[in-house]
Amino acid sequence: MKVVVGQGSCGIATGAKKTSNEFERIVAEKNLTNVVIDKTGCIGTCYLEPIVDVYNEEGALEARYVKCTPDKVAEIVDEHLIGGKPVEKYVIPTEDEAFLSQQQRIVLRNCGKINPEKIEEYLAVGGYEAARKVITSMTPDQVIEEIKVSGLRGRGGAGFPTWFKWNAIKSNKGAQKYMVCNADEGDPGAFMDRSVLEGDPHSLLEGMIIGGFAAGATEGIIYCRAEYPLAIARLEIAMAQAREKGYLGKNLFGTDFSFDIRIKAGAGAFVCGEETALIASLEGERGMPRLKPPFPAAKGYWKLPTNINNVETYANVAWIIANGGQAFADRGAEKSKGSKVFALAGKIKKGGLVEVPMGMTLREVIYNIGGGIKNDKEFKAVQMGGPSGGCIPAQLIDTPVTYEDINKTGAIVGSGGMIVMDEDTCMVDMARFFLDFTRKESCGKCNYCRIGTKRMLEILERITKGEGKDGDIELLEELAGKIKDGAMCGLGQTAPNPVLTTIRYFRNEYEDHIYNHKCTAKSCKALIHYEITDDCKGCGKCARNCPVNAITGEKKQVHKIDPNVCIKCGKCEDNCAFGAVKRV
Amino acid sequence: MNKFRLNIDGKEVYGLPGQTILEVCRENDIFIPTLCYDERTEIYGACGLCMVEWEGSPKLWKACATEIAPNMVIRTNTKRVFESRKTNLELLLSNHKGDCRPPCMLACPAGTDCQGYVGLIANGQYEEAIKLIRDNIPLPGAIGRVCPHPCEKACRRGLVDEPIAIANLKRFAADTDEFGEDPFVPECEPDTGKNVAVIGGGPYGISMAYFLRQMGHDVTIYEAMPKLGGMLRYGIPEYRLPKEVLDEEIAVLEKMGITMVTNTKIGEDISFEAIKRDFDAVCVGIGAWVSTGVRCKGEDADGVIGGIDFLRKVVRNEKIDLGKNVAIVGGGNTAMDACRTAVRLGADKVYNIYRRTKDEMPADMIEIEEAEEEGVIFLNLTNPLEIISDENGHCRQMVLQVMELGEPDASGRRAPVPVEGKTETIDVDTVILAIGQRVNAEGIDGVELTRKGGIVYDKDTFMTAIPGVFAGGDCGNDKISIAVESIGDAKKSCLVVDAYLRGEEIKYEPNYYVTKKDVTPANSSMQKREKTTSLRLYSAMMKSRQSKKQTAVWNADVKTTLNVSSSAMQICMM
Ligand SMILES: Cc1cc2nc3c(=O)[nH]c(=O)nc-3n(C[C@H](O)[C@H](O)[C@H](O)COP(=O)(O)OP(=O)(O)OC[C@H]3O[C@@H](n4cnc5c(N)ncnc54)[C@H](O)[C@@H]3O)c2cc1C
Ligand SMILES: Cc1cc2nc3c(=O)[nH]c(=O)nc-3n(C[C@H](O)[C@H](O)[C@H](O)COP(=O)(O)O)c2cc1C
Ligand code: SF4
Ligand code: SF4
Ligand code: FES
Repeated sequence: MKVVVGQGSCGIATGAKKTSNEFERIVAEKNLTNVVIDKTGCIGTCYLEPIVDVYNEEGALEARYVKCTPDKVAEIVDEHLIGGKPVEKYVIPTEDEAFLSQQQRIVLRNCGKINPEKIEEYLAVGGYEAARKVITSMTPDQVIEEIKVSGLRGRGGAGFPTWFKWNAIKSNKGAQKYMVCNADEGDPGAFMDRSVLEGDPHSLLEGMIIGGFAAGATEGIIYCRAEYPLAIARLEIAMAQAREKGYLGKNLFGTDFSFDIRIKAGAGAFVCGEETALIASLEGERGMPRLKPPFPAAKGYWKLPTNINNVETYANVAWIIANGGQAFADRGAEKSKGSKVFALAGKIKKGGLVEVPMGMTLREVIYNIGGGIKNDKEFKAVQMGGPSGGCIPAQLIDTPVTYEDINKTGAIVGSGGMIVMDEDTCMVDMARFFLDFTRKESCGKCNYCRIGTKRMLEILERITKGEGKDGDIELLEELAGKIKDGAMCGLGQTAPNPVLTTIRYFRNEYEDHIYNHKCTAKSCKALIHYEITDDCKGCGKCARNCPVNAITGEKKQVHKIDPNVCIKCGKCEDNCAFGAVKRV
Repeated sequence: MNKFRLNIDGKEVYGLPGQTILEVCRENDIFIPTLCYDERTEIYGACGLCMVEWEGSPKLWKACATEIAPNMVIRTNTKRVFESRKTNLELLLSNHKGDCRPPCMLACPAGTDCQGYVGLIANGQYEEAIKLIRDNIPLPGAIGRVCPHPCEKACRRGLVDEPIAIANLKRFAADTDEFGEDPFVPECEPDTGKNVAVIGGGPYGISMAYFLRQMGHDVTIYEAMPKLGGMLRYGIPEYRLPKEVLDEEIAVLEKMGITMVTNTKIGEDISFEAIKRDFDAVCVGIGAWVSTGVRCKGEDADGVIGGIDFLRKVVRNEKIDLGKNVAIVGGGNTAMDACRTAVRLGADKVYNIYRRTKDEMPADMIEIEEAEEEGVIFLNLTNPLEIISDENGHCRQMVLQVMELGEPDASGRRAPVPVEGKTETIDVDTVILAIGQRVNAEGIDGVELTRKGGIVYDKDTFMTAIPGVFAGGDCGNDKISIAVESIGDAKKSCLVVDAYLRGEEIKYEPNYYVTKKDVTPANSSMQKREKTTSLRLYSAMMKSRQSKKQTAVWNADVKTTLNVSSSAMQICMM
């Protein structure tokens, strides 16, 4: 029997290591020699971590335990591993299984299934066969043609056709060419790439090898943020194993094609995800973008032809070669082929990683897979594309997730972040949050981005403080337009998007803040205060939880909040069992 | 190589493949502003100022970085382009927290680069220092000595302990140069063939001549008095400004080829008409040489004299009989000069009559303190009511109205109000009225005058009502001020006059500077630091004496120009 504990960063964060240790301890204690404890990457249902899968001798999944904390381990060992009967109460509920069953996994095909630290498991599911096929039996042009047929577009944000980039670098001359993987994943709240790196690193390596062959590159570099230590560790292991097997290094598969990969750890600046900044960082320079053209395909790393693709883009490649470009193109929508991984987060019931065919509507993703809004509140909007993207309001929830349709709303598919917002989210504050991020991450090279975002942020800050002025919305719009026009790189050009989309769909909220000094969502601290209504039963729980002793009242009497003392932390509201504390 | 044809702002132009839009524009005299472009470096493309529109493209393009393409249609002058550039610059300024230029320089009416020359002196680069000073100040030795130095008031070092001794350092640089082997004389441009008459050889006239001569114009100064210098010579007493210093600096003008015609009053000796006829431009700087009275009873008695008239007589060695008791009315620097000169002439009792308190006196504190040290009796909060004369019509007594300070007036100063019925009487042999000055523009016919008699000129062009006649300094627009202000007028307007001579019309436009407004004093422990800067400076100056002549001048005026006590001076001299 095999016990597999999900140990991506998300699992480890919820204590998966402890669970795994507990299994090992008890299994050893009870001397269960037929039980193997193993690990795998993130399976996607992060809200259910730690997750433990139990496979029988034939390799079939017998039970998937969720929220499997160490205290449940003894019971599972006794009843299931020894007794042969799964502990039903810990097994994943059927509705949660829907989270997985509605997905179509290409990128995440092995995540949560194989042990990422064992190349054998990757090989067992057909790993490196695509690379072998390409290198031993195809020409670079054929590879590029296959990718073209698949319709694969870059998953790093811009959605640029991958075959086109590969073709460009292939056609450009250079003493050496480079295949770079962009694993900088800088969007706040995004973890698609990390999951692949941690859960299935070989699929990335294989994609890069195939790309390298097509492009005529001999060296691959993975630019990964140092904040992903587990990813880097697993990549290192995977690379060493691949090298040992002859899939990396000299004369791959006995041909004269040589290709090796190394990792460069980046310091995690958002702007270093931008291609030219990434190259500067690779070269040891400060990570600042430069003008394009020349594009990296012509003059990249050390001014040599360089191709940069996202982790997820590469992770699709081996599958496409193995199953044929057409199989990929059969999935998804007209111009947006295949499937895409999204990180569902925010006010959603089942947050986690999902991979769905492109063209699925936002409603299906949010309600059918994500299970709807937390606490059954009202869905308000979803932010797509992180700080470069925009918000899509409830009335557009039937928008299909394709590059074109999402662009029309003013947002972008981006790298796949989906932050769901409910009625309690203030849209002005949300825009402020993202702009605060981009302002801090601006490299400072161009005036519009460096100063313009700062000025916009100041305006947003004063609006959320109730100090907005007549004309502020127009000023924001004007600045936003000019920043988009004038900024040099994608960071600055897209930074105003969250502001522009929130103004477009929630102008009333801006006006509420400015003219009525009211936060529509009752979220901006400066514009709300807390009150206790007559529903108060005088239990005193709020008073006990108030960190600043702002609440007074006799037992069984309606309590009162002193507004001069209250710091608006909201603890009383959270703690009142009778819903007597109100934000007004 | 085949050239590309393109259209920029409706103009058909050609460029070579590989050239940028900016390069082609520059070749064709189409102006595109840039901040980060420099042909010596790799294109940086960050300032975004060079944006242009490319027909058919929805976005703006950076001209410095975009290569031309055949049949490109470019617009550099659309509303969108201008708006983008404008907002860009506004953003830059909005983020500009520092000072574009140092506060000392901004405080100097003549815009002297104080920070620059102080730094050069610190480096020991005295020659460079004087050259830099002389860009703005033709009388550095004199100004270094007498200027009330607004620069030092603005000096941020003052927020820590005391300001940098900017004025004294100027004097140091000037003395080192002028009393040295080979004083610096600015170079002049080749002759332009235009001539300019400067009426009045005060700081304004001298400066105007100095700047215009450097631009290659032929300049003649007409001066009514025997020597040049204006009030610096005939107002400011010797003990504050040794006239030798002035002479050295005027000698520089001569070396520059400026013609000086002294003892010649325009309007009397030569007509203003003739001047206007004979010169391509005229600059009027006749100063304000009339003392104004106090309008009290008995003011016309014998023994009552105007402050500047008194000082001029002293300078000219004219006979003055002060008598025993001298009363000087007024609280400004002229009054202090008169008080201290009276002390030096041997008067028994020297009174200063001023209707407010010392705190409100416009004179510099150091002048007041030193006057007091020298024995001047300050009768503050008094105002002349009547001057009583003897049978010969000579003043003998003065009745003073006792005052008190009332509510602050519009200027924030507390207005003096008479204390009803309270008077004081003092014995006087001489009364010096150092209340104010007026302009006497008699003979300068045709110019428009202010109500107070000042010459009116346009604030932006410095031109009077007569085309080609400019004015500045104390005589214009009722702005009777300090010497460096007159120099500043000349500095600001010389470009306008030069343009006029070339047949152009321009205005003086001050540069736009961002200044830091939130600088606060350092904490008090720092402020308590010993105030040793002046001393150290004096000591350094003494050590660097270069010639006997220099030492002589220095010893003569050193005590009064430096805020240093005699004992401290003794130590430094050792
Ligand atoms: C007593 C006193 C003390 C001062 N102390 C200081 C000080 O310490 N620091 C400071 O910065 N400033 C001081 N000032 C002010 C300063 O001297 C003046 O602001 C400055 O000299 C004005 O320069 P100006 O060229 O406009 O006029 P002036 O210096 O007055 O020069 C005008 C010149 O024009 C000549 N003139 C007049 N009419 C004619 C004519 N018709 N034809 C030909 N020539 C004519 C006059 O003879 C005179 O030489 C003081 C002023 C006075 C009166
Ligand atoms: C500010 C900024 C940050 C970016 N961050 C990332 C990133 O973290 N990961 C990524 O793959 N692409 C990122 N991109 C997009 C890359 O520049 C580039 O388009 C992408 O890596 C190309 O790969 P693809 O064609 O496979 O999408 C970023 C772009 C910008 C402008
Ligand atoms: S747009 Fe922003 S991040 Fe990009 S180069 Fe300019 S300043 Fe740097
Ligand atoms: S919001 Fe926080 S600080 Fe205010 S009363 Fe409630 S618990 Fe206290
Ligand atoms: S000159 Fe600065 S961007 Fe072109």
